[in-house]
Amino acid sequence: MLASLYLGKTRRLSRFNAIALGIVSALLVVLPGFHPGEGGRWYDRRFWPTVGNTILFVAFAVPGVTISALLLAAALNRETRAMGVLRTLFFLSQVLSVTVVTLIWQIMFSPRQGLIANITNALGGTPVTWLTDDQFAMAAIVITTVWWSLGIAMILFLAGLQDISKDIYEAAALDNAKGWRAFWYVTLPNLTRTTTLVVVLQIILHFQVFGQSHLMTQGGPNDTTQVLVRYIYQTGFRGSELGRASAMVVFLFFVMGAFSAIQFIVGREKNA
Amino acid sequence: MNRGYVWLVTLLAIPAFLWLVPTIWMVSLSFQPNEVLARTTSTTAFGLLPIPFTAENYTALFSFGQTPWWFLNSIIVAVGMTLGVLAVSTTAGYALARLEFPHKTPITVLCLIGLMVPEQAVFIPLYTMFADLGWHNSYHALILPRMAVPIGVFLMIQFFKAIPQDIEEAARLDGVGWLQIFWYIMLPLARPAMMALAILTFLYAWNDYLWPLVSAQQREYFTITLGLASLQSNFAQSEGLGRVMASGVIASLPVVILFLIFQRYVVQAMTAGGTKG
Repeated sequence: MLASLYLGKTRRLSRFNAIALGIVSALLVVLPGFHPGEGGRWYDRRFWPTVGNTILFVAFAVPGVTISALLLAAALNRETRAMGVLRTLFFLSQVLSVTVVTLIWQIMFSPRQGLIANITNALGGTPVTWLTDDQFAMAAIVITTVWWSLGIAMILFLAGLQDISKDIYEAAALDNAKGWRAFWYVTLPNLTRTTTLVVVLQIILHFQVFGQSHLMTQGGPNDTTQVLVRYIYQTGFRGSELGRASAMVVFLFFVMGAFSAIQFIVGREKNA
Repeated sequence: MNRGYVWLVTLLAIPAFLWLVPTIWMVSLSFQPNEVLARTTSTTAFGLLPIPFTAENYTALFSFGQTPWWFLNSIIVAVGMTLGVLAVSTTAGYALARLEFPHKTPITVLCLIGLMVPEQAVFIPLYTMFADLGWHNSYHALILPRMAVPIGVFLMIQFFKAIPQDIEEAARLDGVGWLQIFWYIMLPLARPAMMALAILTFLYAWNDYLWPLVSAQQREYFTITLGLASLQSNFAQSEGLGRVMASGVIASLPVVILFLIFQRYVVQAMTAGGTKG
């Protein structure tokens, strides 16, 4: 009601429109049972920070994975035995399950038993309490994720690199573009489609992050690593509020749907 | 070999080693005695070498505890799901690619629109459906929801479309029915694509976490992935670091071995799924 009155004042809606809007919004509230939550709030106080954390995670994990995968793929793009072995090594962590990955990294990051802490101690530093520190918990999860999911991105980049014809490089070499220059001026522009695809795929994948946050930090400390799917899981299955959880799922669905549509369009481009 | 190449391989060996360190560490810890690990995890070379060495963690794992049972559950679920996905994807893929029937286009579109639906978006309705049926805590609850995978149907449609029409027409002229064509001609031809799909499904099933987490609440129906997560939350008190790490190694062995053997298929399927989905 307030919103419609406000609209009426600023946009100079006619009185009829204002009344109609008011009735419609009143109906919307009454019919499907929209009502304020506990404490008279219209929104869930933990929802948007959770979305924010998820976006933050995506914002670090996606460039992390994409850039390292791109550099690795460019370096590994030769058909020799040694390169094949190296590719296998970098891909290997991808086939581990999320519980194994978080098991390894949880202990890697442990301030008492962790490998990182042991090395820090040996070098004479004070170990960071990665998983219980507000400032480091998200970083720890991002590092784990980059380690875990670099493989697919690398494979996609390698496939993209195979499609670039050798002639272009030869022509570029004639113009004195080799090494880094060739990478910057020839490889990158030719990989635009692959890069877009990798980025979109990674966004879709990492927006649904669950295991890393659930198993390594339990969403903490102070909710700094609470992500959307974990919040949905908690609301639905720990709090038994399946309805509210479903509402959040719809939100997730629209975000994912938008990115899937982009993926579909980009994936199509080449065939068209 | 020129010198630049040798340098490149040497330089790349360093990040490759660093990349492997966490895995090496897990394996190494699993071979160290729990009493030692309780004091320090960096006995030899920051704990990267298993000295002092013991295989006790593995023998203990298999003599008591639920890990062997979970391992068996994982095999049942992963094999069941793989067979199911193959059955659904090949038949649907063949029908949608090669047969003519009414409303074929809308049906195809409906199947493939599933590519855009993330699994996290449907797990709550699935959960309530299975709860209404009283199916939770069973093998079929773990297998059934994952049998119809759009990506599998998509891969098989692509594959069957690429097979030349002549083969099928020649067989049809000889009076062979479509079911026989499918079974005796198409399936043998589709073996490489089926292989890729099967391995991808097996890896996926083995590593799946969210659905087993909500569906299997009794420990008897835990998969190894889920069981490992339950060990993780209280590993310090109960069984010792070495034992938990040994479970981690056991949980990873099948997928790692499978990947190493069939790497080519995995890479091929992932590329196809990623670029064309």
